[in-house]
Amino acid sequence: MIAAFVAAYVLIATERIHRVAAALTGAAAMVLLGVVDAHTAFFSEETGVDWNVIFLLLGMMIIVSVIKQTGVFEYIAIWSAKRARGRPFAVMVTLIVITAVASALLDNVTTVLLIAPVTLLVCDRLGVRPIPFLIAEAMASNIGGTATLIGDPPNIIIASKSGLTFNDFLFNLAPIIIVLLGVFVLMCRVMFRSAFVYDAQRAADVMELDEREVITDKRLLTQCGVVLTLVMIGFIGHSIFHLEPSIVALLGAGALVAVSRTQPNEFLEDVEWPTLVFFMGLFVMVGALVEVGVMSDIGNWLTDSVGDRYLLAGTGLIWGSAALSGIVDNIPYVATMAPIVNDLVHAGGGSDQANALWWALALGSDLGGNATAVGASANVVIIGIAARNGHKISFWHFTKYGLIVTFVTITIAWAYFWLRYFAFA
Amino acid sequence: MLARDLAQSFPTVTLETDALDAARLLAEHRLPGLIVLDESGQPYTVLPGSQVLRFVVPTYVQDDPALARAYDEKSADQLCAKLVSRRVRDVLPKRGDVLDLPIVPPDATAIEVAARMAGMRSPIIAVVDGTTLLGAITVSGLLAHLLDTGTTR
Repeated sequence: MIAAFVAAYVLIATERIHRVAAALTGAAAMVLLGVVDAHTAFFSEETGVDWNVIFLLLGMMIIVSVIKQTGVFEYIAIWSAKRARGRPFAVMVTLIVITAVASALLDNVTTVLLIAPVTLLVCDRLGVRPIPFLIAEAMASNIGGTATLIGDPPNIIIASKSGLTFNDFLFNLAPIIIVLLGVFVLMCRVMFRSAFVYDAQRAADVMELDEREVITDKRLLTQCGVVLTLVMIGFIGHSIFHLEPSIVALLGAGALVAVSRTQPNEFLEDVEWPTLVFFMGLFVMVGALVEVGVMSDIGNWLTDSVGDRYLLAGTGLIWGSAALSGIVDNIPYVATMAPIVNDLVHAGGGSDQANALWWALALGSDLGGNATAVGASANVVIIGIAARNGHKISFWHFTKYGLIVTFVTITIAWAYFWLRYFAFA
Repeated sequence: MLARDLAQSFPTVTLETDALDAARLLAEHRLPGLIVLDESGQPYTVLPGSQVLRFVVPTYVQDDPALARAYDEKSADQLCAKLVSRRVRDVLPKRGDVLDLPIVPPDATAIEVAARMAGMRSPIIAVVDGTTLLGAITVSGLLAHLLDTGTTR
């Protein structure tokens, strides 16, 4: 059984076959081996598909598919470039901030899919190389997505397994992400210094762009704004309203579809069904390990080894997660680690220091995605868009910046972890 | 009516023809596309007018059509400047495969021509006898023939 799990995991990591096929094959193997049945796969909270994760993702994907029809992202990006007066570094800073904020509220891939075309337009007008801007956006997306429960899929898994709320994520992760974003901007100034060539005539070309024209439907934009605000209020106040984030997202998606009268083919078109199915297969695979006690054995062993040395455990989690997330997809990694970290936290009686291990896992796995060109989906998408527009970003071109950014951000994140939860606890 | 009867003489360009000249040829004669000959003078492929547009409109605007609205008139008018110093070879899709050449033999029937055109989504099709280009059939020419025969019965 463990061999089947490892084999499926290797297939997912190496992408020898499509990750969805690998996850479904792994899940099927667990069923054929008699470890999993319909009850454990579909109805058990401990070992089955985590429907909170699936429906939170589905709800947010539907909301995003409607919002993207409004042209608001393009509007904000062009408006910001004009406010920056076409000065390349100022333009990059505004695009980094927009990408990071959008990634905290929406999923990373959608954010970069929306921001990359308008970045290419602005760079074309400025006459500057777009590659530094695109790389910066992919990284800003991974950094920004770390800030909230809904920003990055690993955070959604962590929230569901740990019971931590939207506000817990906001209070514990958002402060350090703001700091990291500031540091990242300064790093971009140095790393990409040769890209910031200012040309007054070119800057005037940017000022000629008319951002108001890209808003395709003002009424829909208003509706989206109202619903998205209500969804955020629902996330922030979900402990008051007693609504799970997945329910808030589904209610928001339903409300937006109803008021906008968007047709099913429009709002379902952008739902990433392969991702949702991948999650389901993965949950069944990991659930099988929980079912036969492998996860609790590892958890017990780690609990005995760690004892009350949570700083050491957290340090290992941050750096280990960052290293592994740069190489393999952080979603299966976090899905596998979540039950183990859960055991460690419970062994610590749910103390603040034990609970901090969740933040170590989130920071390491989310920020580690920046390390290589294949460390996060946003990186792969950006590289693909760049290539289609005639700007080749090689694996090592991205990775040489990624390793530097990951090392610096993880070092600062570790310092934050140590200071906040141990030194000044 | 067979393909040899429907075929008309048609302007051709080569892979090395200046892209701007090819675009002018399309515009001046209001052609849906051009037949491209290879170095040996054999038909190589068809350059549809839509491919010329695909080349001049940035890929990011094709990905996100809302961005097209942000362009001012002056910039929009300068789109064809991208064709300057380019050859037909540069404008063709990257995977220009000679096997994908939309051709029919001279004895193809109108329905065969229509099926080939529809299947390859090409506005023109070359009529080739062995290695000799006899001419081309345009979608408008084919439709005129089909409408004429279909409505007079």
